[in-house]
Amino acid sequence: MRLPITFLIDSMEEVKVKNKIKIFRAMHNLTQEQLADEIGVSRQTVNAIESDKYLPSLGLAFRIAKLFKVSIEEIFIFDEKEKNYEN
Amino acid sequence: MKNNTYQRTRLIITTFVLAVVFLAVYSESYLLAAAGVLTGLAFLALIRSGKKIKTDERELSVQEKAARLTYKIYAPTLGISAFLLLFPSKSGLSVFRNGEWLFTETIGMVFAYLTLFLITIYAITYHFFNRQYGGGKSEK
Repeated sequence: MRLPITFLIDSMEEVKVKNKIKIFRAMHNLTQEQLADEIGVSRQTVNAIESDKYLPSLGLAFRIAKLFKVSIEEIFIFDEKEKNYEN
Repeated sequence: MKNNTYQRTRLIITTFVLAVVFLAVYSESYLLAAAGVLTGLAFLALIRSGKKIKTDERELSVQEKAARLTYKIYAPTLGISAFLLLFPSKSGLSVFRNGEWLFTETIGMVFAYLTLFLITIYAITYHFFNRQYGGGKSEK
């Protein structure tokens, strides 16, 4: 449910980042709860990250990548269709 | 202690404290209310020290957003209420001359000081966190 007054919240421009946590979790036979315990967050946070509702901090992203022994880019994919910031 | 167990224990303690405070207020025993609150706080501190619970970063993010929204709603509401309560009493209207509506001015003053207090705390904490995160320094 969304608050009708969320226009009062200043938010940064949303960055679209998709992730493959669910796939890696399945590959390592981990439940959301087990993964949450391993990386020191709650199960709700893992669920929110998996469903692209919450973008994890850089530290947490590194912890996830380290746990699965891959690089961050292999788990988190930046949506290239977004604005081009190079100009 | 796992995060879930900690959350559950915290909920139980909070419910217990609420029940004690409710009973204390009902029986007009303010000593019992104070004792209930202090015991609850002591228990919370005890279970928090005995585990390695880190506050979840998503929870922190939610708290930050909620606090910001609360400030954005609360500060203007309080400020406008203070103005609306103070303005008529200072306007020299006949209804205020006999001093019957004096309480509106008092409430208005309280609201005005609360607004000031809120903005001051916000400014101080903003300055503190801005410095902590490297703001306000020019590059040499």
